[in-house]
Amino acid sequence: MEFTREIYWNVGHGAETLIPMYLFAFIAIGVMVRGILKRVEVYKQGLPLNRTDHPGKRLLHMVKGALLQKKVVRVQWPGLLHGLFFWGFGLLFIGTTLIVIQADFTDLFFDVKFLKGTFYLFFSITLDVAGLVCIFMLAGLLVRRFFFPPEGLVTKNDDFIMHGLLLTILVTGFLIEGSRIAVTELGTPLSYWSPMGLLVANGISGMGEGGLRALHKVIWWSHLLMVMGFFILIPLTKFRHIFTSSTNFFFDDLGPKGKLINLDMENEDAETFGTTHLKETTWKDIFDADACTLCLRCQDRCPAWNTGKPLSPMKVVNQLGEVAFHNPDANLIETFEKDVIWACTTCFACQEICPVAIEHVRKIIDCRRAMVLMEGEFPGEEVMTAMEATEVNGNPLGIGYAERADWASELGIKPLAEDAEVDILYFVGCYASFDKRNISVAKSFIKLCQAAGVKVGILGKEEKCCGEPMRKMGNEYLYQTVAAENIEAMKSYGVKKIVTTCPHCFNTLEKDYRDLGFEIEVESYTVFLQKLLTTGKLRINSRELSCTYHDSCYLGRHNTIYDAPRALIAAAGGRLIEMEKNRAEAFCCSAGGGRIMAEEKIGERINIKRVRMAVETGAETLLSNCPFCLTMFEDGVKGAEVEDSLKPKDIAEILAERII
Amino acid sequence: MKILVCIKQVPDMESKFKVDAGGTWYVKTDLAWRMNEYDEYAVEQAVQLKEQVKDADLTVLCIGSDKVKETMKKALAMGCDRGAHVADDAADTKEPFQIAGIIAEYAKDKNFDLIFTGMQSQDRGSAQVGILVAEMLGLPGITTVVHFAYNDGIIEVKRELEGGIKACVKVASPAVVTCQLGLNTPRYPTLPNIMKAKKKELLSIPVDDLLKIESRQETAKMYFPEKKGGGLVLEGDAADLADRLVKILKEKTGVLG
Repeated sequence: MEFTREIYWNVGHGAETLIPMYLFAFIAIGVMVRGILKRVEVYKQGLPLNRTDHPGKRLLHMVKGALLQKKVVRVQWPGLLHGLFFWGFGLLFIGTTLIVIQADFTDLFFDVKFLKGTFYLFFSITLDVAGLVCIFMLAGLLVRRFFFPPEGLVTKNDDFIMHGLLLTILVTGFLIEGSRIAVTELGTPLSYWSPMGLLVANGISGMGEGGLRALHKVIWWSHLLMVMGFFILIPLTKFRHIFTSSTNFFFDDLGPKGKLINLDMENEDAETFGTTHLKETTWKDIFDADACTLCLRCQDRCPAWNTGKPLSPMKVVNQLGEVAFHNPDANLIETFEKDVIWACTTCFACQEICPVAIEHVRKIIDCRRAMVLMEGEFPGEEVMTAMEATEVNGNPLGIGYAERADWASELGIKPLAEDAEVDILYFVGCYASFDKRNISVAKSFIKLCQAAGVKVGILGKEEKCCGEPMRKMGNEYLYQTVAAENIEAMKSYGVKKIVTTCPHCFNTLEKDYRDLGFEIEVESYTVFLQKLLTTGKLRINSRELSCTYHDSCYLGRHNTIYDAPRALIAAAGGRLIEMEKNRAEAFCCSAGGGRIMAEEKIGERINIKRVRMAVETGAETLLSNCPFCLTMFEDGVKGAEVEDSLKPKDIAEILAERII
Repeated sequence: MKILVCIKQVPDMESKFKVDAGGTWYVKTDLAWRMNEYDEYAVEQAVQLKEQVKDADLTVLCIGSDKVKETMKKALAMGCDRGAHVADDAADTKEPFQIAGIIAEYAKDKNFDLIFTGMQSQDRGSAQVGILVAEMLGLPGITTVVHFAYNDGIIEVKRELEGGIKACVKVASPAVVTCQLGLNTPRYPTLPNIMKAKKKELLSIPVDDLLKIESRQETAKMYFPEKKGGGLVLEGDAADLADRLVKILKEKTGVLG
């Protein structure tokens, strides 16, 4: 006897089953499609944004993000529960589809059956196990959500409906299987290939064939109706994330990571800049809100949220959704609230962890653009002063531009205007040029280059702020002004390669300036120095150092440079004790997103919180790679009253101390 | 209503200054230029007044080389309607009486209801131009204004006196007002206004057309103050430090007398 089973057993193969079944299916799918199209109309309120270029690349990204659940499983336990549920449900979906194909197509029209023999055995056991896994995973998720919810987890009606419906669909599936096995397979070897079904069959076999057949029929139809209900509910509940979250990977920003969209400053017809109302957002911003599953991961990692500031990236995304669906004329800036918009450090922790590829940061910057460019508004007068200082002197510190190269004179470093024959141009940045503490980093870097025989030039007084803090604070106009001047200066000297010690400068030159016709190679000093060490051009003594290392947001998350700095620390003899939050999970220093120019007036100080994390490691030195981080940590060790036991330093400094 | 605001382009005070070869002014290389701080308050107040009365025409006037047009554009972006640029490459050699003469000559037949300017410039700091303009035009002049209100031709202001004392002054327009720190917070120009400013009228007038008076004073010399003795750092425990500090204050100063 060949292993197989009768599809539509007990419910009938004829029109009395197929007609109502397909009628229900068409109605359900019709209602679902109508629901989806209605939502698409809402997305269309946004501005156009091309997110369908490179379809192959996008599809691959979607496979990784959705099918492989790559980002979902980053948070281990709930991620794994969801992942296994998803894959199990996927198998059940494929299994059901195969049944439909055979029963209502190949068998019906061509008398071809493929659910038989060995394939059927594996088919049977696969679906059985998949169903079981789904039940356990769903139960796990249910217990987590309803009995031990993490702080802040929002549970709505949608969640009751989703857990209840899915669980009932799974359980009724096994009841259908069990009642069928009880009548047709009990005592046959085939039954062992449906272990869970067999268990149910044994439990209910006492009902007798009549009872079992009646039960089977009732549950079969209820199961079908519930599945149809599930389809209808997709656009109406958070079930929609099955479509929206997965396609959000297709529509994701393909990079460069975190790069903002350039505003066209020459467009004289533009009446508004940035986002005040929904009609000034893109469709993708609205779609993002529909992809959000309220998983809390972004909020959990947001440095602003974690220090008592009102910003929750999750809330911003969902408020935008609320406005799009229910109040499209609302003022988004007032909806989000200004303190929320100013609190973001653009640290990217939210986007890095988001399991559904939502772009939180751009939404916040777009609002800042409107506030700064349309209203001339800033989080505080100190920020306006820094902006004006940058307009006048090319640096937010307000120091005379002519003094920009003063730090370098004793090291024999000349501006390109005096000597343009150099191996690299060191784009110094404002802090390493003017801030006393950070000048030490610039000097250390020069000493390392000189020890390795690299001839370095600087722009000197021709260098201006790269514009990053201004751009992230929303002042696109000022950013583009200083950027254009820097680009012109760098191009005019025929520079071949640029190295930066500031990850904000690095990120801006390497990504943002590319939109402004800048093509010169740019490298972070960590990568540059590591190459000099590997090639033997730079030689340093290894001398033990107890240290922890802070991944700056802009070298780490924004540019995924995690290993080069660690290699440098190891080469210097650093005994690195990692903080709990490191690499992609690193906690911000507070100074990104232009916040370096702003006072932190709400909640706990972010830099002190980060310093305390460093203190927990017991290390004596807190190493970083960024002038903003170093500045915040020098301040933070004082705030945390640990300045005697923890010394903030830049990696360049410990390397320079060890030059052979 | 016709309003005039007079501004000056000055070096950023964070710059490193050097005395020029003539020994009467600073060297102009390596300096960053901006609007005189007090004139920013004047522009802001003028724009606020324009916004208040709605039907007003606001002219910004600046004397200097072509370079000052950059600063004038900021005033236009802040909300001035038109620019009057008095082209003069040697503006820094002119004394306040001449500068005031130029402004008065420009303004005399234009019937301005109000003329705003900073209470002094950050570089020369004579604090004379505003009041001289008032005198030359025969208008009341009110200096060091920290609060300004206008209602139906009547100006009510608060002036800042020594020691934080305020004087309330009431005057009917037309008048000249010089503005002091604390009057307002100058706005940051919005991008649409920066764009609009590029298209606003900015006419240059040769200085010779307006300069009708001779200078009366001359800068003889400009120099940095001599460096005198450095500071004194006291170290030790707090009680001892207090005693030593009291002793020094008694011996070397009169503050405890």
